[in-house]
Amino acid sequence: MAKFQPPPVEESVSPNLIPMIDIMFLLLLFFMLGADMSQRELEEVTLPQADMVQADSNTQTGDLTTVNVHHRTDHGFKCAVADGGGVCRDESHWLMAIRGKDYTRDTLNMQLQVEATLSVEPVADPKTGKQLSARMVMIRADQNAPYGLVQKVIEACSFANIYKIQVGAAKPPKA
Amino acid sequence: MAGSQDLNENPVAINVVPMVDVIFCLCVFFMCSFRFKQIEGKLDLWLPKSTGAGSLGPALLDDVRVALLWDEAHQRPIRRIGQRRIESDDELATMLREAHRDRVHLAQVDESVTIDADARIRWSDVVNVMDVCKREQFDQIELTYGGTPAR
Repeated sequence: MAKFQPPPVEESVSPNLIPMIDIMFLLLLFFMLGADMSQRELEEVTLPQADMVQADSNTQTGDLTTVNVHHRTDHGFKCAVADGGGVCRDESHWLMAIRGKDYTRDTLNMQLQVEATLSVEPVADPKTGKQLSARMVMIRADQNAPYGLVQKVIEACSFANIYKIQVGAAKPPKA
Repeated sequence: MAGSQDLNENPVAINVVPMVDVIFCLCVFFMCSFRFKQIEGKLDLWLPKSTGAGSLGPALLDDVRVALLWDEAHQRPIRRIGQRRIESDDELATMLREAHRDRVHLAQVDESVTIDADARIRWSDVVNVMDVCKREQFDQIELTYGGTPAR
């Protein structure tokens, strides 16, 4: 006589993926929103730190030209001094860039003159009679850049009749 | 249940495994490329409107001028106000504070400081001096260019 056997019970051991998907979506959202994709025109420079730095309120960049002074990193370029964290004073190792395009000293002069004409003060300067530019130039120089390079940018601004200069600096991290 | 994998229970259940794979890949991509945004700001400078390229004239008696010289032997900057050598940020701040107080006392409107730095000086050292000047309420900072500072 056959004995009664209960039907085999299938136990479902598949994990519930929904909470994991929820968490991954949240992570994805966090990284997507936190990713700094907005300032790709700015070069990778380590800015010097300053306590008294003002928050950059230039939401409209129409009247602002940013000049980045950065060390060469192209095509695996190596510089023993810069890689060791020192101050590289070889000017051929440094580049001045505006909107991702590198300029030499002469071409920077020309480019800044072009930029200066984009926005001109409505009234000529009463002392000199010169028509000055209303354009503002932000100098974002690497903290290890020699000051001579920044001097060149300032000099080029002066030749282009640009007198409004800003210096980029980073807020030091809170201790 | 919407998330159940049991086809008998929900015949139109979607297979979420490929979606999980894709989200994993996206997560890995964003995690690897993630970089915290550095809080950047600005320090204002104004170039004199009336002067073009050229050297400064002789220092006036009441002209606050910080000279940054390069010590080639020791490979470090030297800071001076007048003939006095400045060793620390606190000392620089004290001297600037005294200069600021004198100017307020004499009711001078022009509260500017000139930074006269050698071209070999590290940019962060110049910005550090600018930072101290701003802290001591010197709003107008001028940078010299086109020459080496007078010793």
